[in-house]
Amino acid sequence: MKITFVKKIKADGNPCRKCAEVQSRLEKEGYIDKIDQTVIADERDMNSEGMQLAKQYSVNQAPFFIVENEGKETMIYTVYFKFINDVLNGQTSEEDAAKDILDTNDLDFL
Amino acid sequence: MSTLEFNPKQQAIEYADNSPVAIIKLALENFDNIAISFSGAEDVVLIDMATKIKSDVSVFSLDTGRLHAETYRFIEQVREHYKIKIDVLSPDTESVQNMVREKGLYSFYKDGHKECCGIRKVIPLRRKLTTLNAWITGQRKDQSPDTRNAVPVVERDGAFSTPENELIKFNPLSNWSSADVWEYIRSNNVPFNALHQQGFISIGCEPCTRAVLPNQHERAGRWWWEEATQKECGLHEGNLKK
Repeated sequence: MKITFVKKIKADGNPCRKCAEVQSRLEKEGYIDKIDQTVIADERDMNSEGMQLAKQYSVNQAPFFIVENEGKETMIYTVYFKFINDVLNGQTSEEDAAKDILDTNDLDFL
Repeated sequence: MSTLEFNPKQQAIEYADNSPVAIIKLALENFDNIAISFSGAEDVVLIDMATKIKSDVSVFSLDTGRLHAETYRFIEQVREHYKIKIDVLSPDTESVQNMVREKGLYSFYKDGHKECCGIRKVIPLRRKLTTLNAWITGQRKDQSPDTRNAVPVVERDGAFSTPENELIKFNPLSNWSSADVWEYIRSNNVPFNALHQQGFISIGCEPCTRAVLPNQHERAGRWWWEEATQKECGLHEGNLKK
């Protein structure tokens, strides 16, 4: 299994808010070693590898994870807790999962 | 029909230009274990349409504990008007108490609304949705100022599906504008939340909702203090600095 973590760098050179949060959680929760490579989607460069991957997989929000398994369909995860639960068999609190859902979905109609 | 036999992508294409009533009919004919999410605002039209198809349709509302008094009264009015049961869902007491003890009653003005909405709305919603095969929402394309957001009339719910429960989400009002919804409300004498008469368009919790001025987008009335940070994680070309 190969896991790629794609995070966005904004025009000012800083990571986007959610990318910084997910990076911090990966480190704090001890999952960072499970990431095989980290790729940057640079807002200043549409040809950056992360931007190209976003385009290739039709992903419109950072961060996201690409999970490749030989002989299986490549899976894309845009919601952190789902990635942790489904791929790394980890656990996240209900509060963190709820926040992840809100960060990656438009639920303003509720 | 089970969720496995229902193909949301195909149905979204087939029903893309159909009326909300036709989409609600599709939903109710294909799923028994289905409910309407009612926010206490203009999505009441879903209940009006659905009860004409199935009088005992299931409806739930999220009671965050911070709604306007007008909204509580309206939920009650809808219950009586349509003679339906409304499952009013409350947040987990301990989670709310912990947040309030630690951060106070108005933490969202400093930290953003997502922690509070997560506890008061998303967790109860997630629990409810694990018990359903499908749900019907009042989500419309024109509610978001970001017009890139696609809202198919039916979709697999990527946010709330679990490995054990594939959830289908119907958005019958997706293609309707706010004006279409209000035309329906007037033409069909549908009851509406009294806050709409005070300039409120989008209605949420009391501290996070305000009336808007003429021609302002309805989203201007929600979480107005944190708009700037909303889109910084987007990966569209439109996000790029020119």
